[in-house]
Amino acid sequence: MHFRTDVIKIFDWLKQVWTFITTQWNAFTHEIDFVFIQGDRYKQMLTGILNTLKITAGALVIGVLIGIVVAAIRSSYDKSGAKHGFGFAILKILNAICKVYLTVIRGTPVVVQLMISYFLIFVSARDGVPVAIFAFGINSGAYVAEIFRGGIMAVDNGQFEAGRSLGFNYLQTMIHIVIPQMFKAVLPTLCNEFIALLKETSVAGYVGVMDLTKAGNSIAGRTYSYFLPLLTVAAIYLVVVMILTWLVGILERRLRKSDH
Amino acid sequence: MTTNDTLIKVENLVKSFEKIEVLKGIDTEIKKGEVVVIIGASGSGKSTFLRCLNRLEESTDGHIYFKDNDITDPKANINIHRQKMGMVFQQFNLFPHMTVLKNMIIAPMKLLKMSRQDAEAKAMALLEKVGLADRADAYPSQLSGGQKQRVAIVRALCMDPEVMLFDEPTSALDPEMVGEVLGVIKDLAASGMTMAIVTHEMGFAREVADRIIFIDEGVIAEEGTPEEIFGNPKCPRLKDFLSKVL
Repeated sequence: MHFRTDVIKIFDWLKQVWTFITTQWNAFTHEIDFVFIQGDRYKQMLTGILNTLKITAGALVIGVLIGIVVAAIRSSYDKSGAKHGFGFAILKILNAICKVYLTVIRGTPVVVQLMISYFLIFVSARDGVPVAIFAFGINSGAYVAEIFRGGIMAVDNGQFEAGRSLGFNYLQTMIHIVIPQMFKAVLPTLCNEFIALLKETSVAGYVGVMDLTKAGNSIAGRTYSYFLPLLTVAAIYLVVVMILTWLVGILERRLRKSDH
Repeated sequence: MTTNDTLIKVENLVKSFEKIEVLKGIDTEIKKGEVVVIIGASGSGKSTFLRCLNRLEESTDGHIYFKDNDITDPKANINIHRQKMGMVFQQFNLFPHMTVLKNMIIAPMKLLKMSRQDAEAKAMALLEKVGLADRADAYPSQLSGGQKQRVAIVRALCMDPEVMLFDEPTSALDPEMVGEVLGVIKDLAASGMTMAIVTHEMGFAREVADRIIFIDEGVIAEEGTPEEIFGNPKCPRLKDFLSKVL
């Protein structure tokens, strides 16, 4: 007899659990419908994702270009054998400019730099996205430059000498011999910088850019529902970072081919 | 000026690092086809002297003529001259991110505009000579020290140099690998290549050298044929040095 009542109890309990799940699910889908579908608010989210990716990718390109140039100037200055002559004087001036750039950019918050770009430099800009690409690119360049410089210094000087002794000039030696080895050495640190950059772009809303964070926040404000928009925003950042890490991992494995 | 068979002429070469004067006025000549071995105690300036010859070290004073061109002239295109001055380093300095073959063909392809086919054919022929043809697709990290140095030698030879500079080519090698590298250098000497070799291998120096230069405290203290240097050393510093190394 006991057995039967037990079965019925378990059955009842399962039924309750099921009802709970379905009501929660219905509430959840209703919430999704309310938060994202109604008023086409998901479109705002898509714009946000797109802008965040645009700003990150654009800033990345600018940052790497600035980084290579600044790192090349700084390490040439450090490496330069002859400490005299016209060429060295120019190098000295360029090196001083690079140092000022690094100090100012790394010494001030990126949000402030972004606002200065938008409200003081590009006063007539209507679209904040290019301004954000500019500001984040200049900012990232300073960090990437120091990462690259560290990488160049980590490449054994014998590599440089071997290149020069074959008849390569300074630039050719850098391009064919030093920089490929530097890239391999700095890739993990560089990946770190890219991740940081992606997340830093979340302050783009300060200059009215509809980026991912701003989109989530604006939807939350309009619907008075914070749970879903903010967690969705967080999840999207997480997924993008995971994809980025995965891609860098593939690249790293390919570059590691030579060290068995 | 210089006679026709002089390949490198060094006049009053001085090199200072900050305040320390390492080379204090060196005068010498290297003739075509000559094998010059430079010996001396560590810190005597013999490696610095060799590195000044292709301006890996910038000389402080004096002149170096390569085929009658003053390469110490700031206006001289040192990159063009370096293509004709092969150099082999103590630490091999192979490019670790390239295969053996790529190490050898990159300079001829980029600098001499040689086609990939021609460059590879040439590289393979040279690898064949030093017994490493089967390692063409290996990366430097997969080679032994002796193999690395043999590759470094043929990498320099791919540029058809007129002179080869060796900076202690066997000093970083395990003893059992010294022989294979010296063998390659000896073959090269026999083929008529002009060479300047800094080494601590006295037996090898005696065997391969046409002339030996003994550098002490930044000057050439004595020079002569191997017979003169080893058989009848005159300078007391050389006698002292030889008594320690032989």
